[in-house]
Amino acid sequence: MSNAAAARQSQEVRPSLAVDLCGLTLASPVVLLSGCVGFGEEYTRVAGFDNRDAGAICLKGTTLEPRLGNPPHRVHETPCGMLNSIGLQNPGSREVIEGILPALDFAETRFFANIAGATLGEYAELARRFDDSPVDAIEINISCPNVEEGGLIFGNDPVMSARVVEVCRRATAKPLFTKLSPNQTDVAENARRCIEAGTDGLAVVNTFVGMAIDVETGRPVIGAVRAGLSGPAIKPLALHLVYQVHKVAAPHGVPIIGQGGVASTEDAIEFLLAGASAVGIGTALFYDPLVCRKVNEGLAEWLVRRGAGGVAETAQSVRAAAAGGGGGRTG
Amino acid sequence: MSRAHRGTIFLEEAEVIENDRRPAGQHVLRMRSPAVAARAEPGSFVHLRCGASLAMRRPMSVMRADRAEGWFDLLFKEVGAGTGLLARCGRGDRLSVLGPIGRGFSPSPERPRRLLLGGGVGIPPIVFLAEHLAASRPVVLMGSEVPFPFDLRPSSIPEAGLPAGAALGCLEAAGVPSRTASRAGLPGCFDGLVTDLARGWLGVRSSRQRVELFACGPEPMLRAVAELGREFGVPSQLALEEHMACGTGGCAGCNVLVRTPAGPAMKRVCVDGPVFDGASVFGAATP
Ligand SMILES: Cc1cc2nc3c(=O)[nH]c(=O)nc-3n(C[C@H](O)[C@H](O)[C@H](O)COP(=O)(O)OP(=O)(O)OC[C@H]3O[C@@H](n4cnc5c(N)ncnc54)[C@H](O)[C@@H]3O)c2cc1C
Ligand SMILES: Cc1cc2nc3c(=O)[nH]c(=O)nc-3n(C[C@H](O)[C@H](O)[C@H](O)COP(=O)(O)O)c2cc1C
Ligand code: FES
Repeated sequence: MSNAAAARQSQEVRPSLAVDLCGLTLASPVVLLSGCVGFGEEYTRVAGFDNRDAGAICLKGTTLEPRLGNPPHRVHETPCGMLNSIGLQNPGSREVIEGILPALDFAETRFFANIAGATLGEYAELARRFDDSPVDAIEINISCPNVEEGGLIFGNDPVMSARVVEVCRRATAKPLFTKLSPNQTDVAENARRCIEAGTDGLAVVNTFVGMAIDVETGRPVIGAVRAGLSGPAIKPLALHLVYQVHKVAAPHGVPIIGQGGVASTEDAIEFLLAGASAVGIGTALFYDPLVCRKVNEGLAEWLVRRGAGGVAETAQSVRAAAAGGGGGRTG
Repeated sequence: MSRAHRGTIFLEEAEVIENDRRPAGQHVLRMRSPAVAARAEPGSFVHLRCGASLAMRRPMSVMRADRAEGWFDLLFKEVGAGTGLLARCGRGDRLSVLGPIGRGFSPSPERPRRLLLGGGVGIPPIVFLAEHLAASRPVVLMGSEVPFPFDLRPSSIPEAGLPAGAALGCLEAAGVPSRTASRAGLPGCFDGLVTDLARGWLGVRSSRQRVELFACGPEPMLRAVAELGREFGVPSQLALEEHMACGTGGCAGCNVLVRTPAGPAMKRVCVDGPVFDGASVFGAATP
């Protein structure tokens, strides 16, 4: 058999990884996360990386006007993770919509805008502008720890979060995801408010606020002092938040893009079993640029092993079996 | 749109051919990595996974590449966790390499008198550039505060504006004049900074419109080179360092402030650099 024929056959036997997310069909539950894959073209520099391997790609957080972002250093390694404080560097919504989106190939994957405003009015205007653009969905970033204005001021207050969702909801008919902050007491309550305010989906969860100090100089390592922690270090924390938010979101049929430290198929399955409908990968790409393809292959094997149903129904049946099989014990 | 950037960076499991220990925690690491070796240029770097325990890769300049044999050399100094793991690598070990990355040096044909300056861990790309340009006989100045990771020998190629002194054996052999500088009292080395040597060399050049500066090294050195360029009216190409996460242009983690005709902009050291025009990164402070 020729290589091409073999490839075709292996594609044929591979079960579909498609998932439904707020009416959008994603070819894979793996979503590449905002801020980690630039504006959709950057990672294609890596030979073997293919946008088609991702179910969706969330573009870098975009503000109304261009932002230069924070001073260096902006990234720093921590045990099993990293701190970042990019400060939402981006060329502004006009350039993104007029200069960048037209150059993307929407046949390759779904592209989601990620919007960040400093005021309610800015969020509304951003949602309106992206509503009138080819993006497949809009993700409201109310959880960026690296800007002074906006960001966590909205994300850590359930009432304010809901108001942001409300104004965006009025401004767009596109699927709307709200990206929650982990830096608050009751993330599930925040989720509940956002659902009431009209979000179609939730992204759980953004980075945890942290810092690092250079013991030689005594100064914070990150130029802007405060930074967001991501990567495998936060996975158990993020997983538990997805688990909690799922309880609130499931009765409303609101799907979750689970995220935080996913680096392997096992991590992705854990998030699916915790209640996520799709799974985001960010930081792991930095050390494993082809991780998306590996996770897809692993998920396909999982589906075959579990009876080759779809992703959502397989996760559902495993969850149900676990619940029926005396789950809930603690050790 | 043009998708010329696609597939230009390669991910390889590179095999360590040799880890050659040099003085003061310095190492020359030779790795088999045909895709990188075939495409590396002076100034390009690789993003290395030093060990599975580390969440971030480490950027390292390519010092030499042999396309035919499919290997490249790195020169690194042990300074922390990542370089500590690299230092313990031995023949046959495999490391994930992402590369080659970045826009390297691009010497201007109109300025064939080239002065190359390397300092500390900035020496490797300058060695690559010097060997690459050997036929056009660049002049090379290297500075180090620890013993040089190369054999030094008394310079046998005189160069106007430079005192005699210790030169790099590998460059002498290629017919490239070089001098070394150190404030650590290394035998034969000029007692001072590479930029002091550069000032002497620039001072005796009558046709500075044919001169171009190239440098890699610690930030104070790069600032001083940009300053020299301004003083003598000579352009400089500087290879910068910044902390990096993705190495592919996707995270904006490595950005530095650069002047552009359109105003200040943040540029990515990984894919927009690492080589930048000196005046655009270390321009005169605005009054
Ligand atoms: C384009 C480029 C080329 C480089 N080429 C060389 C080279 O040829 N030889 C060499 O010895 N070194 C080189 N460096 C510096 C090298 O990347 C650092 O020495 C190395 O990352 C230190 O890692 P560590 O874990 O040992 O140190 P640690 O201090 O423990 O590192 C902690 C974190 O800070 C980052 N970091 C620390 N210092 C630097 C630095 N100078 N630049 C970027 N990130 C840093 C590390 O990557 C890591 O994420 C280069 C850097 C860049 C950006
Ligand atoms: C360098 C970097 C930049 C980020 N920028 C954004 C951003 O612009 N908007 C946003 O909503 N989240 C941003 N994030 C958060 C990620 O999208 C993701 O939610 C988080 O990192 C957790 O996933 P991970 O552990 O897989 O990275 C950023 C994360 C990193 C590491
Ligand atoms: S390291 Fe990510 S953009 Fe340069």
